Amino acid sequence: MSNARSNILAKLKAQVKDSDYDKLPTEQGFEYPQLNRQQQLAQFITHLDNNHAQVIRLARHEIAAVIAQELQQRNITSLMYGDNSEYTHDIEQTDNSIELSKYDFDFSDNKQRLFDHTPAGITGSRCAIAQTGTIVLWPTKDEPRTLSLVPPLHFVIVDAKTLYRSFDELMVKQQWADKLPTNVVLVSGPSKTADIQQTLAYGAHGPKELIVLLLNT
Amino acid sequence: MSVVQVNPADESKYAASARAFRDNVTRDLANDELRSNFRGAMDYLMDKRKSAFNDQDELETLRRQCQLIKQRCLVKLPHLLEQLEAKLTANGIVVHWAETITEANQIIAHLIEAKNGKTVVKGKSMVSEETALNDHLEARGIECLESDMGEYIVQLAKEHPSHIIMPAIHQNKKQVADLFVKNIEGFEHTTDVDALIQQGRNVLRSKFCQADVGVSGVNFAVAETGTLCLVENEGNGRMCTTVPDLHIAITGIEKVVEHLADVPPLLSLLTRSATGQAISTYFNMISHPRQPGEKDGPSEVHLVLLDNGRSQMYADEELRQTLQCIRCGACMNHCPVYTRIGGHAYGTVYPGPIGQIVSPHMLGIEATTNLPTASSLCGACGEVCPVKIPIPKLLLRLREESVKPASQQPQVMKGQGSGRKPLEAFIWSMWATIHKSPFLYRASMWFATRGRWLMPSKIGAWTVARSAPKLASTTLHQRIKQREQAQQSVQGRGK
Amino acid sequence: MSQLNTLHLRDYPVKPTQVYLYGTCLTDSLFPDSGIDAIEFLEQQGIEVIYPQGQSCCGQPAYNSGYTQQAKAVALAQIKHFPLDIPIVIISGSCGGMMRHHYKDLLKDQPGIEQFCDRIFEFTEFLVNSLQITLVDNGPQERVALHTSCAARREMGVHITGRKLLGQLDNVELITHDYESECCGFGGTFSVKHGDISNAIVADKTKNLVKADVVRYVSADWGCMMNINGSLEHQNKALRGEHIASYLLARSAKGANS
Repeated sequence: MSNARSNILAKLKAQVKDSDYDKLPTEQGFEYPQLNRQQQLAQFITHLDNNHAQVIRLARHEIAAVIAQELQQRNITSLMYGDNSEYTHDIEQTDNSIELSKYDFDFSDNKQRLFDHTPAGITGSRCAIAQTGTIVLWPTKDEPRTLSLVPPLHFVIVDAKTLYRSFDELMVKQQWADKLPTNVVLVSGPSKTADIQQTLAYGAHGPKELIVLLLNT
Repeated sequence: MSVVQVNPADESKYAASARAFRDNVTRDLANDELRSNFRGAMDYLMDKRKSAFNDQDELETLRRQCQLIKQRCLVKLPHLLEQLEAKLTANGIVVHWAETITEANQIIAHLIEAKNGKTVVKGKSMVSEETALNDHLEARGIECLESDMGEYIVQLAKEHPSHIIMPAIHQNKKQVADLFVKNIEGFEHTTDVDALIQQGRNVLRSKFCQADVGVSGVNFAVAETGTLCLVENEGNGRMCTTVPDLHIAITGIEKVVEHLADVPPLLSLLTRSATGQAISTYFNMISHPRQPGEKDGPSEVHLVLLDNGRSQMYADEELRQTLQCIRCGACMNHCPVYTRIGGHAYGTVYPGPIGQIVSPHMLGIEATTNLPTASSLCGACGEVCPVKIPIPKLLLRLREESVKPASQQPQVMKGQGSGRKPLEAFIWSMWATIHKSPFLYRASMWFATRGRWLMPSKIGAWTVARSAPKLASTTLHQRIKQREQAQQSVQGRGK
Repeated sequence: MSQLNTLHLRDYPVKPTQVYLYGTCLTDSLFPDSGIDAIEFLEQQGIEVIYPQGQSCCGQPAYNSGYTQQAKAVALAQIKHFPLDIPIVIISGSCGGMMRHHYKDLLKDQPGIEQFCDRIFEFTEFLVNSLQITLVDNGPQERVALHTSCAARREMGVHITGRKLLGQLDNVELITHDYESECCGFGGTFSVKHGDISNAIVADKTKNLVKADVVRYVSADWGCMMNINGSLEHQNKALRGEHIASYLLARSAKGANS
């Protein structure tokens, strides 16, 4: 058994007793103004705009056409997506000019493929947060983590009906404390950095572009 | 678990650089380019933070809330660490404990060698800087590449980070361009920041792909769910924790929070205090290694918990507040000393005000005697600290610990009394004797004012840049006495 | 309900007729005129000012150097000279902060210490919040800057009260200098222990004050002014600062505008 563990815990335990917990003052959060749905939507979109994400409001049946249009504008002819996912069928309607490939392989054997030969990936999302312009990715077996990370262009489909006021509200309403999956990622724009003379540059290591396909606005 | 060899005499390399504080300061105060870089950067960060906090009510409410959250988590710390360990273990994440920086490095090296790992990509981790992990791994033939843009730049320059959020803040874009030309084959000189970033992206992208191991820090470790949370803008953190098959996270024992619900307010204050952002581009929450059926993610995830002086901070109720820190960097952004001497002058991993209050615990008082005194106690740091650490008060406390007699009980810190100088102690003793006696005080002031022509015009460091103050001809005590006597005699005559 | 930063919220005695004056050791030995000026100004407002001769120093120099026991001994020795339950007006924000806030910690075992500390008022704070003073300006038109010590700002709110007072002077144009809220670099023993860093900070402060193109600057703290004026003199600049008590007295004098 490791000595470090017992030494550290012993030192810490020597300093506090259970009765200390009772003396703790009440914690109070800030009461944010209640925004209606339209205001939350506006807040959500404004944040994403400011963070250089591209937000496209559309109806579900338009998904395939919009994808094709955005890819063609960028001279991109292939797109990777997840099977058995909420929007799989909608994505598969994209016309033949775009080569669709399913992420149905093990990443470890296909790293080069993802890094060098996959210009664009598309995923759905679990929900979104208005207060900070944030999209919650909840990767699954079908929409793996690297699908939204490695390709330089990431399309994410967001249903405006899943918009929550704030992170803390979302966490409570969806009872996250009960069980979290392997990985959850909150995404609020394309990758960026200001590490060189505080000058903002986009496309550091994560996707250079984030295109948000926003449904049900 | 394997047995780890510990060398207790292993002193951090930062102890030597911390001792060199005064020479470092002389060097860096004379560097006009450095000073200009820092002034520009601090102004930028202070403005950013200010814009993000335009509701004072909200700010003060959140600060108080976050202070209490951290204090609660610290009171419960040992139990939360046990709970965190149990949850992580149940989730499949392996937990290791390290008392010293050497232990931590050895644990990590051992894990990497067990998998025949040869290349490591690192997400930004100040704790791994604290242990000097890169040096340790490279000595064992393991390549260790920093992937955060600022860290990458600093690594190329063979330097250390000068700021806990923006590691290369001491350089301007011209210096970065020159650095890239010198170190990256085929790079054509440009100060266009987008081009510089793209260059970094290209170099590092292939490294992410090839690396065997990813090392990261942790911003919040949630005990309730067994979750490691990471804050970042670049995406390199996600890369390091997703692409290689082995992920090793390292953090300090004070980073554990009790509930998932504790995270949102802390996160909100962290990103806004650090860079004025409502939230970072990515907030990454890791609870398991790759599960059956999943197509990517590391199959092995480990967490190393480091003490290195934190249990000493914990043992004193006042000093324990040091552990409330969420590593936002706001204190150094607002510090008039940091702005002028820059981050490297401190010689410590953590610079600025937070560095001045943690380093004496991590490196010992003797190596860091100059740090707690290198402050005018202006209080700008304490005013912006999101978790209300009373930094000036802690600096005073550390000064006290530094000058109290070494043998005085109770002994709270290693190196107590290292800064005590017999002459200084004598002077303050005499000062107290004089100033607590009205008679002695007035007598000494009488002598001082009568003999003021004896006062030297050069008084050490003061008169290098200022004229010496001149003693008055009579003191206020005396003038008031004369004034009262004059008034009384006027009244007397008036009767 | 939100929790505001309650630092500056306190009860103020309304227009008391009798106060103590705490001069501070710097005023006593180096700048006694401002002590006299403060007394004269308060007397002009109809207040009787008592100056206990037994006072010496608030203890801050030792406290800031880590010599807590010595600071405590001197701090304790101050208290008994202020027995009446009347306000203690102090002409320094940093000594004010020491006695108003830090004494509660330094002397926490002393019975009655909270009540003593609650009687401490910084000079400008007292004029604005307790006397609710209205100033008459008999002085000439001029541009002036305000430097507030860090302790005065953060512990006593003097950047607000000092500003209010100068704002009441009709012929005074108050100019905000660059980086106004930044430290001047004094910090007591910091200025000699880390003289090079302190010099770098005061060099910027003086540069910014000179750039403001004012005829003088005003401050409630002699610690800062010793530092800033000393630097200005060393640089052969004409600009100097004066204590706000002296300045207000001068501005209120009949025939000041000549």
